[in-house]
Amino acid sequence: MNTKISLHTLVILTALFSSIVLAQDEKKNIVYKYKEYEVIDLGSLEIKGQIMAPGDLTVNERERQTFKRSLLEKQNYDFENKREIENLR
Amino acid sequence: MKHLALIVILLMMTTQIEASAKGAYEIYQKDKSKSRDKKIAHELIDGSFYFSAIPYINNYLENNNEIDAELEADIETLVLKTGTMAVLNLEEKRLESFNNPSISLILGTRLFAKEQNTKAYEILSRIPDSHQFSAEAALIKGTIRNLERKNIEALNLYEACVNKSTAQENSSKGEKLKRYYNYLKETCIIRSARVNIEEKKYEQALLIYEKIDKRSYKWPYILLDQAWANYYLKDYNRTLGLTTTYKSPLLESYFFPEAEVLTALSYYNMCLWDDSLKVVDHFYDFYKPKAEALKEILGNNKNSNNYFLDLYYADSATRDNLNPFIRNLVTQTRKQVKFNLDLSSLKAAKDELALLKRLKNKNDFTQSLEVNLGSTIEFVSAKINYYIKKEIFTFINEIHKHSFSMFNLKLELLSKKRDDIYNAKALEENTRERGSDKNVKRKTSHYFFDFNGSFWADELGDYSFGLNSACPVSKTNE
Repeated sequence: MNTKISLHTLVILTALFSSIVLAQDEKKNIVYKYKEYEVIDLGSLEIKGQIMAPGDLTVNERERQTFKRSLLEKQNYDFENKREIENLR
Repeated sequence: MKHLALIVILLMMTTQIEASAKGAYEIYQKDKSKSRDKKIAHELIDGSFYFSAIPYINNYLENNNEIDAELEADIETLVLKTGTMAVLNLEEKRLESFNNPSISLILGTRLFAKEQNTKAYEILSRIPDSHQFSAEAALIKGTIRNLERKNIEALNLYEACVNKSTAQENSSKGEKLKRYYNYLKETCIIRSARVNIEEKKYEQALLIYEKIDKRSYKWPYILLDQAWANYYLKDYNRTLGLTTTYKSPLLESYFFPEAEVLTALSYYNMCLWDDSLKVVDHFYDFYKPKAEALKEILGNNKNSNNYFLDLYYADSATRDNLNPFIRNLVTQTRKQVKFNLDLSSLKAAKDELALLKRLKNKNDFTQSLEVNLGSTIEFVSAKINYYIKKEIFTFINEIHKHSFSMFNLKLELLSKKRDDIYNAKALEENTRERGSDKNVKRKTSHYFFDFNGSFWADELGDYSFGLNSACPVSKTNE
């Protein structure tokens, strides 16, 4: 009875082992290939809806802003005149 | 013989001084009337104890309203001899109640300093036209109208000031008084020219400035005014010539940061960016360390009552050791009328104290005079010290104010240079003709000298550059 089981087990194990080896050999030989490029023709795509933006973009021409810094001006002599009086007496 | 006469005069003076001091002491002891202080003051003024008389005059005016002819003459003498010290202890409200020309002048000046211009004008108008202080009153009143932009009235007052000071100058006998009225006259002439500049009548202003003699004390100050008038007439070469005059060794004690800004602005208006930038950079290199040094001196001695006065008395070698710049600043300060008046007051007060100490008959009265005079001397010293300190402070502020102008100008210059680079504009600085007589605008009143690398006194103020403007020539007629 024992001999019968052992033989049966051996056959099963041998079959399993050989299938695993076969499976490993098959995995090594697989080569995956992808598409090198794909062209999408947008012109042929049709988008349904309403156009909200103007057809072309424009910028109004205007003069470039220049920041004028205030340079020294002599509008009056108040400072000098007052000092002169203070320096009198 | 001469020495004998001198000794006799001195003996007579000493006798009079002794008699006046004795007379004042007698009144001090015996007189219990309301007018005691007035009488003591009169005796002291008679004996030339002007500063000692001040407290008694002030005491009398504090409690009495009447001013008779004798007191009026005494007050006038005190104002002439001691300046504004004469009524120093009296409040403005009290002074207002007296209709006396000397008091009105002092009060008017005080109110002007406090910017109470309407009141000051009203008080100064009390001084009669024939009075010796009327020229000074007209100057201050003109200044008030000038500040209020009532230029026609201001011009009339300045003209009145010129006429009155000319008359006083001719009738005065003392050299110092003559100089003072001449100073007032020239100040009022310059004021008329300035009003013309303010009204944009530059040619007219330049004609008025020509009335000031080159030897005048005021002359170095008008160079800057003339430079501005020429600047607005777009004669930038003349402006540069005028501001360059300050580089002359004769004018080394005069430094106006504003003149540097005007020089840079003139180059800027001739589109000479690099020349202008050089002036801007020189301004910072020259003035920054000086401003910092002065600021340090001010900070270290702000609480001292005599440091700055001692600087004035220090010999030039000592001043140079501290900061060479101080020497020139003190030189400029000592040219101010107020400074000189206060300084001579201080000297007179010290002489008076020495005179008191020499008196033969000492008593509690002379003792109190000595104590009072000691306080007066202390006060005048502190006043002069404060004046010099204020002058230094004003100068530092001037540097800071003009540093800001220079900073703005530098930004403009860098922007212009950048624009030139963007527009690929060739400046050709090196090949440009640097100067030519063709570019000098001349008038019949102008003299013409070639500048050969040295300043000559008679040429000063007549310089003009001959630079050609690098600005693009406008096709349209202006």
